[in-house]
Amino acid sequence: MPVSINDAAFEYLLARAGLDLTDAEKAELKAVCDGIAAMAERVRKPRGRMAEPALTYSFAEEDVR
Amino acid sequence: MNGAIPTIAEAARQIEAKQLSPVELTQACLDRAHALDDQLHAFVHLTEERALAEARAAEAAIMSNGPKGPLHGIPIGLKDIVDTKGIATTCQSKLLQDNIPDADATCAEKLAAAGSVLMGKLTTHEFADGGPSFDLPKPPARNPWNSDHFTAGSSSGTGAAVAAGMILCGIGTDTGGSIRGPAAYCGIAGLKPTYGLVSRAGVAPAAFSLDHIGPMAWNAEDCAIMLQVLAGHDPRDPASANRPIPDYRAALGGGIKDLKIGVIHHFHQTDHKVDEATQRGITAAVETFRGLGAQIREVQLSPLQDWHACGSLISIVERAAAYEEWSRTRLNDFGERMRTRLMLGAFVSGVDYLQAVRRRRELRSELKAAMAGLDVVLTAVFPNEAPKIDALPKWDVFQRPSFMMPFNVAGYPAMSVCSGFGAGGLPVAIQLVGKPFQEATVLRVADAFEKATPYRDRRPLAA
Repeated sequence: MPVSINDAAFEYLLARAGLDLTDAEKAELKAVCDGIAAMAERVRKPRGRMAEPALTYSFAEEDVR
Repeated sequence: MNGAIPTIAEAARQIEAKQLSPVELTQACLDRAHALDDQLHAFVHLTEERALAEARAAEAAIMSNGPKGPLHGIPIGLKDIVDTKGIATTCQSKLLQDNIPDADATCAEKLAAAGSVLMGKLTTHEFADGGPSFDLPKPPARNPWNSDHFTAGSSSGTGAAVAAGMILCGIGTDTGGSIRGPAAYCGIAGLKPTYGLVSRAGVAPAAFSLDHIGPMAWNAEDCAIMLQVLAGHDPRDPASANRPIPDYRAALGGGIKDLKIGVIHHFHQTDHKVDEATQRGITAAVETFRGLGAQIREVQLSPLQDWHACGSLISIVERAAAYEEWSRTRLNDFGERMRTRLMLGAFVSGVDYLQAVRRRRELRSELKAAMAGLDVVLTAVFPNEAPKIDALPKWDVFQRPSFMMPFNVAGYPAMSVCSGFGAGGLPVAIQLVGKPFQEATVLRVADAFEKATPYRDRRPLAA
């Protein structure tokens, strides 16, 4: 289960990103943070340390057959 | 010029036979733009004088030497994130109101070299993201089938202008569905090619590893004509593929007997259930393909939500990185929707991003295995016909998974084709997906479907 963000972490991440937001913008953004956390959980699968990312985006010859 | 706006193929035949003048055709499109664009807002910038000058030049050249190809003398439009030398390219943003590029994007250059007539720059969501904002320099485009309704985006102006007959074709870009979405809601054809087939050089980025450039036109044949000009290696684009380019138009018309078509039923029947009209369109399409001799198979993939999460995380981060400098220094110059999308980047960690990129490799391998022995796969584009433009949830990215994002994640070619009309009289669509660089097969199946169904005979606003 994703963990909801607390106020201190929320403020830290905004400051780190250099974003200067109004209180209304912060409230709206905080309301969708759980959605991002849920997405981040979805891409975590048991795959072991050797599973490489798709760092190149072109297709190998075997892909196109 | 009398009668309806022709397709590119029809117009090219008439131009070659000297039965249609490019100047007349351009003037007819301009007349429609003057009559309709106050309502539809498809154009950010209409380049009328330039269009007429190009049409006259095309006509003179054709009269002397014949057309150089089927796009010679054809009125087109470019999404306003495509750089155009000497013409404002604003990305629909306050940040770029004075931006006059000193070079064309590769796709603009290729279309110009083919002799097309540039009608102008077309409406987009700001920097091709964020949705239909009402706080941008120009209003959002509206759907020609019913102007109270959304076009989808971000290639919103291209979808509206093609459907309304203001242009015969245009450039769209697609990071999570921005070609296929407007094509579906506006009832036209739109093809997102394989990643790397069409150069992105000179086009504003949305998310580098998900961005695709492609054709939007009335039907599959016109998309094939346009893709023929657009496809090819470009050293200016670091992801450009260097592969032989087939004759896309020659692949059409051969029928689809014995082709194998997979249907990803669980995407649109379980993971995100589509409405009745959309399902009816999919079911009828499957029967049409079966009737044309294709073999139908069931395809099982990871849940749509997994694909959507993977693509969305990558998209959020790559967009935030591309626009980080302006986010830090000029955040309030973005429209509200783009501004809030950019803020999301603060909440995706580096590890989250890389886990998404690892997941991407797994998902792409899964699609490759599922498509072994198949020619194309089929699913929905949207779950319904176009909603009203003022009834769109701002955070739909968290509320409903996209049927289109899987094929940006995988980089596979995918096309939207009109498959009927919903209860509100607006179009619904199917999505056809091919193997990498097999656009000719996707276009062939789409063309066969269009010719076997009546949906290309009905146009909005008597275009």
